[in-house]
Amino acid sequence: MICQIDPNNGIAIYEQIERQVKFAVANGSLVVGERIPSVRELATQAAVNVNTVARAYRELQQQGILNSIRGTGLAVAAEAPEICRRSRMQMIRDRLRFVLQEAKQNQISLDEITTLVTTEWQDL
Amino acid sequence: MKSVIELKNTSKRFGKVIALDGVSFSVPAGVVCAVLGSNGAGKSTAIRLLLGLEDPDSGSTEVLGMNSRTHALEIRQRVGYVADQPPLYDWMTVAEIGWFASGFYPTGYQQEYTRLIERFQLQPDQKIGGLSKGMKAKVALSLAMAHRPELLILDEPTSGLDPLVRREFLESMIDISAEGRTVLLSSHQVSEVERVADMVAILLNGHLVCLERLEDLKRTTQEVQLSLPDSAATPPSIPGSVLAHVAFGHDHIWMVRDLQAETLLQTCSELSLPTPIIRKPNLEDILLAMLREYRKDGHPHREQRQPESEPV
Repeated sequence: MICQIDPNNGIAIYEQIERQVKFAVANGSLVVGERIPSVRELATQAAVNVNTVARAYRELQQQGILNSIRGTGLAVAAEAPEICRRSRMQMIRDRLRFVLQEAKQNQISLDEITTLVTTEWQDL
Repeated sequence: MKSVIELKNTSKRFGKVIALDGVSFSVPAGVVCAVLGSNGAGKSTAIRLLLGLEDPDSGSTEVLGMNSRTHALEIRQRVGYVADQPPLYDWMTVAEIGWFASGFYPTGYQQEYTRLIERFQLQPDQKIGGLSKGMKAKVALSLAMAHRPELLILDEPTSGLDPLVRREFLESMIDISAEGRTVLLSSHQVSEVERVADMVAILLNGHLVCLERLEDLKRTTQEVQLSLPDSAATPPSIPGSVLAHVAFGHDHIWMVRDLQAETLLQTCSELSLPTPIIRKPNLEDILLAMLREYRKDGHPHREQRQPESEPV
């Protein structure tokens, strides 16, 4: 698992890690039972504070996405794919709401936005 | 938790310039603490006082529970320090300077040093004089870490280094903090600090303007942007503690801590003002706002005096 962290994108760093783990589980690049990097490994690889990674992992454990395996670290829980697919939608919804607010504040109409979404989607 | 670094009401002046003016702060063990501030804010002075390289005019400093003034040697033995322009003997080779430095530290230093220079891919038989700036910085870092210090102090270690070397420095810092050791880092690379720091201390003109957990600072600070209908309109009062306020014509920007967003939105709709844009600032935005504001409302003593002390 590779974490791409951007301290300037407005999302807290621990949350960026949390999101990336969730997306990875939801799209199958992390599978059930797979061991994830240790706090220290990920902190060094992504060059972020150790406590930040620990916090992200703690949140993921609380949400039932990661399980601790005695002595060997953390692994993807059996229920994780289901939870992650559900929260994937929520994460996108939050991001979208942010963009829509910006559009609304700048007097862009719903029709314009809908057209924009369609054309951008097709261009991907 | 016991503090590893402590400044108690410490002041230091150089001629007419006040480098530190009654600064107090402490850093607990196992924390990565970043010291931020503009050039000449007193960051390096604070570090030099801690290491006992300068004596304070008043107040005192302690490192690992030892007074910097009376235990300077012992402190330097137990602390790793990388200066922004590390003094190294150009005529020694990479291996020789490690051997030379090992004389000042307990056994095991040279072994660890050899491991570090290998990790940083330095050639042991190369002369220091022939190394690039980045490689010299890696030698300095290896020398500072080889006795596995409880506290690592880095004074703008990555200024002028390429992104790859900077990254290696960050990784070393993270390694050290992962082992529960303390790091004090002075830096202008705010986005790097944002990645690695637990705590930030912000110095300006010799004053400490902020000492806080980075997470708390970022969580409780918001930026409010509001465009008033015309420049004569008075902006609404902002519910929360305002760190900074700037106006560009009829556009206003506030940096606010503990903003009551609901109240603000309500006030704006009652006054039929446009809806304000509320966003989460990054550390750089917060830092700039604090520095600008501080300059604006006057602790101008240093600014006024500085021209006198500098020969023209």
